[in-house]
Amino acid sequence: MSEEVAFEPKIVYFMCSWCGTGGAETAAAHHMHYPENITPSRVNCTGALPAVHILRPLIEGADGVVISGCHPGDCHYDDGNFRARRRVALVKSLLDTLGLEAERVWFRYVAHGEGRRFVDTAAEFNDHIKKLGPNPLKTRSDT
Amino acid sequence: MNDKGAVLTAEDGVKDALIGWLKETLKNGVFDAILIPVETPGGDSFAYLLLQDPAILDSASPLPPVMPVQGGKALGRLTMRGRLNRQIAAVVRPCEARAAIELCKLEQANLENVCLITIDCPGVLPLSEYLDDPETSAVRHAGASSAWDRSPMRPTCQICDHFSIRQAPGSDLHIGTLGCEEGTAIMVAGSAKGERVLERTNPPTLEKEEESYSLNGLLEEWAAQVEEMERAQTKTRQRAHADLREAISGTDRLLDLFKDCINCHNCQRVCPVCYCRQCYFESDALKLPPENYLARANRKGALRFSPDTLLFHIGRASHMATSCVSCGACEDACPMDIPIAQVFSLLADRAQETLGYVAGMSLEDPLPLVTFEMDELHDVEQPYVKIYAKQEVQDA
Amino acid sequence: MPEGASSSAFTSEGLKINRGAVDTVRELLRTLLESGKVKAVLALGRTGGDEGGVGYSLFRNPAAFEANGAALPLLPFMPANAGALLSRLTLEGPLPEPVAAVVRPCELRASIELAKLSQGYLDNILFISSTCGGVYPLDAGIDGNLEEMLPRYWQAMKQGTLDDKVRPTCRACNNFVPEGADITVALLGEADLDEECTLYVQTERGADFASCLEGATTEVKQENKVLERSMVQRDAFREELFATVEVGLEGLIRTFGRCIGCHGCKTVCPICHCRLCHFDSQDCERPAGFYEGELARKGGLRVPPDTVYFQLGRMAHMAISCVGCGMCTDVCPTDIPLSTIFSKVGASAQAAFDYHPGKDVDEEIPLRTFEEEEFAQVAT
Repeated sequence: MSEEVAFEPKIVYFMCSWCGTGGAETAAAHHMHYPENITPSRVNCTGALPAVHILRPLIEGADGVVISGCHPGDCHYDDGNFRARRRVALVKSLLDTLGLEAERVWFRYVAHGEGRRFVDTAAEFNDHIKKLGPNPLKTRSDT
Repeated sequence: MNDKGAVLTAEDGVKDALIGWLKETLKNGVFDAILIPVETPGGDSFAYLLLQDPAILDSASPLPPVMPVQGGKALGRLTMRGRLNRQIAAVVRPCEARAAIELCKLEQANLENVCLITIDCPGVLPLSEYLDDPETSAVRHAGASSAWDRSPMRPTCQICDHFSIRQAPGSDLHIGTLGCEEGTAIMVAGSAKGERVLERTNPPTLEKEEESYSLNGLLEEWAAQVEEMERAQTKTRQRAHADLREAISGTDRLLDLFKDCINCHNCQRVCPVCYCRQCYFESDALKLPPENYLARANRKGALRFSPDTLLFHIGRASHMATSCVSCGACEDACPMDIPIAQVFSLLADRAQETLGYVAGMSLEDPLPLVTFEMDELHDVEQPYVKIYAKQEVQDA
Repeated sequence: MPEGASSSAFTSEGLKINRGAVDTVRELLRTLLESGKVKAVLALGRTGGDEGGVGYSLFRNPAAFEANGAALPLLPFMPANAGALLSRLTLEGPLPEPVAAVVRPCELRASIELAKLSQGYLDNILFISSTCGGVYPLDAGIDGNLEEMLPRYWQAMKQGTLDDKVRPTCRACNNFVPEGADITVALLGEADLDEECTLYVQTERGADFASCLEGATTEVKQENKVLERSMVQRDAFREELFATVEVGLEGLIRTFGRCIGCHGCKTVCPICHCRLCHFDSQDCERPAGFYEGELARKGGLRVPPDTVYFQLGRMAHMAISCVGCGMCTDVCPTDIPLSTIFSKVGASAQAAFDYHPGKDVDEEIPLRTFEEEEFAQVAT
């Protein structure tokens, strides 16, 4: 790393009960490590994650939010992940229009057995956020 | 555009012609009642009235100088508990018709037995400006309207490119005034329902001494003018949105935009497509123990109170931007002059574009968040670029 | 004896500080925060950037109360009734540690009234109030325009009068001397408030917290004359203002004609606290049959309906507790003088029960109690 970024990002990682947490559990089973500043948050299905729950952490102190669920076709509830994709698209559109760095929100499919992919996502996002720097919203008291 | 239409004409102007036509429909039982703006008893505003007494139509105004209540919201309140058992006509602006159609899809309105009658709309004045001096304002509005001069109108109206039936195809009947000679307007049907109404009524046709107008000639002229204005307005809108986006982009400028917000939620209350009986942002979900507020104040050094101002606005946008018809009711209701309608119209246009949807066009267009395509929005999916794959080899 | 607050408050100790009033309050709050005696302060402060707006904030950092800090206590502006804010803060439970709040008398009364209505807890709140010269209308605060008004505001305050650009609700207010505050800053009629300041300490807790400040303790006998004069002026204006209300059915229909049913008045009202207002509930969602019936009966019906019903209904629900803060008028998009109407009706309802909203947390709200022998004239 050429640039020393002095801050530890606060990251909220939404994962669905099925593939999302499955990926995390597989990683654990293989003793893979992921950064400690990730706060996992379990939802039954990414399709059940309200848009507001992506916005709240970004305003109140998170530097980034990841949403991970099953791959297309694998959703336990058939189409929750497709609906989630639309909802994330909407939130990213709003953030982008308002210049609030939509890239602080990632939507990536992680399957039950993809421990490596889960760990990579956490590490990659962590580095990505370190490069972006702290979220300017989180220190504003007038939000 | 079909050629089922008629010419509306009256020496005293289109408004009188339309009121006369509406009276006839009541008398002949084509409609049992009309929903139309009527001047308030104090002469200081306009309110939607559902009326069956033709005499009340004498104080009615199809396109008043202000829009205090969004017609879509009125239609929603009227039919949220079930369709009416009578045939009514609702005389509304295109944005109000579009809001009504969105509300139908959201299951908050029922347009069966409602004939949506829209009119080419030049816009309305800012509500607070009108209230300062209703008489002078009305005159100013009338003058600007007939010249299709949008400069005194609300900013939202100035950049509106959905002002006619072409951009609000859910209308049943439409009065076209653009490009028509003074005292003349055309009436076109937008649906089978509208056609049936036209057949049952008999709007007078124009007969002039020198020439006799054919309906088709008038229609073509009107349609061409609408298209031309739409092109110009779309350009204006895009320019305005680009400027606005720059003006509010980023944390600093965005929080500047909302610096005066007092969290009254008037914007949400008057919005036609915000229909929740109890808004999420007023619910228990955001009512937290004092420890929560103190901890947040501790972390940030201070906490604006009541909290969640920005969350309310972006959150509300996340809930309704896909159904926003840029009617501007929110901005009229804001006590702190925040250009909220302009901001939301920008957010809405872009959100709807992202999801390939335009609000209020047709009952047949499914709402974008209750449907999906398998093969779409791949740019939202974060590509996995295995840059950390090397690590696995080292781990092993 | 004029209506409203008694003019014989303040027989308790007063602290005379050799510092301007606003500076004194700043210094007091800064010290309280720095020493940890309070964990946070609810006060007005800057929002947005440099030419920012003004809003309430829960301040944690003592630096906010330094000379150029973000806090703006005693600014003549009320973007929200702080009583409602304190209710929100303590709705789920009492404050675990002391928090100071800089509030106007009507905000204090709202706070006390809300505690009676089980909408919050007064524990651990240090109330700092002042003899009030009113606030400017909400639109005066747009785009930082309030700055321009401050010289004339303080000029009038020093003379014991109210700037005529201050809200009519305030100029008609006869409850401008706070009761139940821990510390009251004397402002109205204090000619030297730029150089010195008197703090009236009315409770033990107030004394404890005020002791942070250095200042001579003097037993100050309250100077009644200025406050009495102000009361007379306000009572006269109040009568004039109340007389402008159009009464009778025709008058009400004319007044509320331009009401758009946004219910903003209810949202900002500190006393209106129902999670789901009756007038927003299913009870007021009318089925088709209702509209058709009304049509048949009257020939025409306003949509949405229930305009005057909402106004009268809200009066019936809250006028008995109305503290006359004026947020309703400020927020109304169609400039209906709601506060005048509601204050007038409220005053009359309160007089019928000899009730004083927000004066004393132990004074029972009239509709929650009764005497066996009373109001004989009501029963026939």
